[in-house]
Amino acid sequence: MIALVKTNYRDEPCFDETLAEHPDFPRLIALKIDVQRRGVSYTERAQNAVDPEIHQLRSPYIFGSRDGEIKPLPESLLLRDGTTILTDPTPLDQDPYIVDHIDGRFALIDRGKLLETVELWPKPAYYDKTTTSGLPMSHIVTARPQRLNVFQSSFCYFWTEDQGCRFCDIVTHTKQQRKQLGVPNRLRPEDVRETVAEAIKEPGRFTNLCLTAGSVIKGPRLFDHEVDFYVELLQAIGENFRTKKFPSQLIASAFDEEQLARLYEETGLTSYTSDLEVFGEEQFDWICPGKAKWVGYREWRDRLIRAVDIFGRGNVGTGLVGGVELAKPHGFKSEKDALDSTLSEAEYLAERGVTTVYIVWVPRPGSALCGQKAPSLDYYIRLARGLQDLRVKYGLRVDFDDYRRCGNHPDSDLARLQ
Amino acid sequence: MSIPLWAETLELLGDPDTVKVLATVDANGDPHAVVKKSLHAADDGKIHFLEILEASESSRNLTASLWFDRRVAILLFGKEGRQVQIKGKPVKYHISGHLFLDHYVKLRERLGDADLAGVWVIDPEEIIDESFSVREARHRAEHPSFIHLDRIAKPLGETGA
Ligand code: SF4
Repeated sequence: MIALVKTNYRDEPCFDETLAEHPDFPRLIALKIDVQRRGVSYTERAQNAVDPEIHQLRSPYIFGSRDGEIKPLPESLLLRDGTTILTDPTPLDQDPYIVDHIDGRFALIDRGKLLETVELWPKPAYYDKTTTSGLPMSHIVTARPQRLNVFQSSFCYFWTEDQGCRFCDIVTHTKQQRKQLGVPNRLRPEDVRETVAEAIKEPGRFTNLCLTAGSVIKGPRLFDHEVDFYVELLQAIGENFRTKKFPSQLIASAFDEEQLARLYEETGLTSYTSDLEVFGEEQFDWICPGKAKWVGYREWRDRLIRAVDIFGRGNVGTGLVGGVELAKPHGFKSEKDALDSTLSEAEYLAERGVTTVYIVWVPRPGSALCGQKAPSLDYYIRLARGLQDLRVKYGLRVDFDDYRRCGNHPDSDLARLQ
Repeated sequence: MSIPLWAETLELLGDPDTVKVLATVDANGDPHAVVKKSLHAADDGKIHFLEILEASESSRNLTASLWFDRRVAILLFGKEGRQVQIKGKPVKYHISGHLFLDHYVKLRERLGDADLAGVWVIDPEEIIDESFSVREARHRAEHPSFIHLDRIAKPLGETGA
């Protein structure tokens, strides 16, 4: 029997009511959004059915989870259309979806109703191996169903001045991971090279690499050291490939043209993302005080646009923490105003060759906005549709950050039909 | 409603000489048909095929069909003119996991440096024998009045005129 979760955690229309308002929006993508928005809780039966030999358990990640714990639970879920759901364990009193194990299959349940059968992410072969330096490879490079994640360092200098982004829990989580799992603070390029070499031995498993970390403001010029780290790391990774360029995404600070040209010319990097996190100067200044202080909204945006000249249209993107523009107390008061503002700024960037994707905002316990609630499913559906429509309107592709090469953006899941 | 595949359909699907055509429509209803040699009957009673080109029109249309619960059609054209049409729904797309990896390895053994984007699963819902003799008999039985009169006219000389 499935336990019914009766709670008024959110006062809003149910999933089916919301979806009925959007008949041209895929139900599976709406479900993904809602599962990301509300999180999941694994029943005991589901936990017992997890087989660490074949299922990928949670590995070190750059950001934390909403239960604030590090437990050996499944990394996440796959829907039957190949859509990835990146979500994390959530306390029952926050009204999560339930993952149960019924008739030999994992299933997503809401209020006692089975909505979809799901699969757990398969464990990659290299997860059982260790580097020559003795570190578990799963601590060096983490996997998604089709991508490798290299989180170069789990530290962000904006936090040292108490100017970290308000939705972010990177440093809180880093401390927890270091203490509980012994995850290194900064990766050594040689460990990464060796791990990637091992990972790509598995046929058909991975389609790209993503590198990211917190911002490093140090260096002769702002971010020079951050660029140095990435160049070194990408060159080490590149030793594994016979082509100069390899499908890859760097999510990093807003670099200047010289820094970007260096990354493009000296490494195999094929795409560049720098997250504005939230659109609009006023919101940006409040939500991302470190970014605002060291670069500023307009300059950050201009740097993205200039990156198009180096990486090309369709290879430059920015990410939003979708919904944080409605955070209290300074965010938009209405979802309509937030959507209009966000889409108009996304259009400004799309016209100039920069694509915008969003992730669903999860007010995590280790962040300054903890305790708040993300906006409605309706909002996220409209945001996903709006961002994808802009890509179609301006003929922008998002191949480097789509359902397979990333899997964390409901809007770029829709690009499968583009 | 999912239905079991007929013995003759299984035979056609398994015959390397059968021409196998997959017909899909996009989200706006625009049709697309293409030969897909890899269409085959799988152990789960469904029809699978290997998508090599990740951004192919078929794959895009199958995604739209899966998302919006629409059917696709498969035409099998065998030796001696045997024809079977199968209508069904795409229900799953394997992009990772055992089944995918197994096909990936075998495909590359067979074709050399080829890629595999995914394995589509189509649930058969309707099977129609499209062989001409069967279609003609069916047509005659259902629409007896659809015939040109000269075909049923008495030969000249036998009329009262
Ligand atoms: S830049 Fe902002 S989101 Fe990124 S790690 Fe630093 S504080 Fe977190």
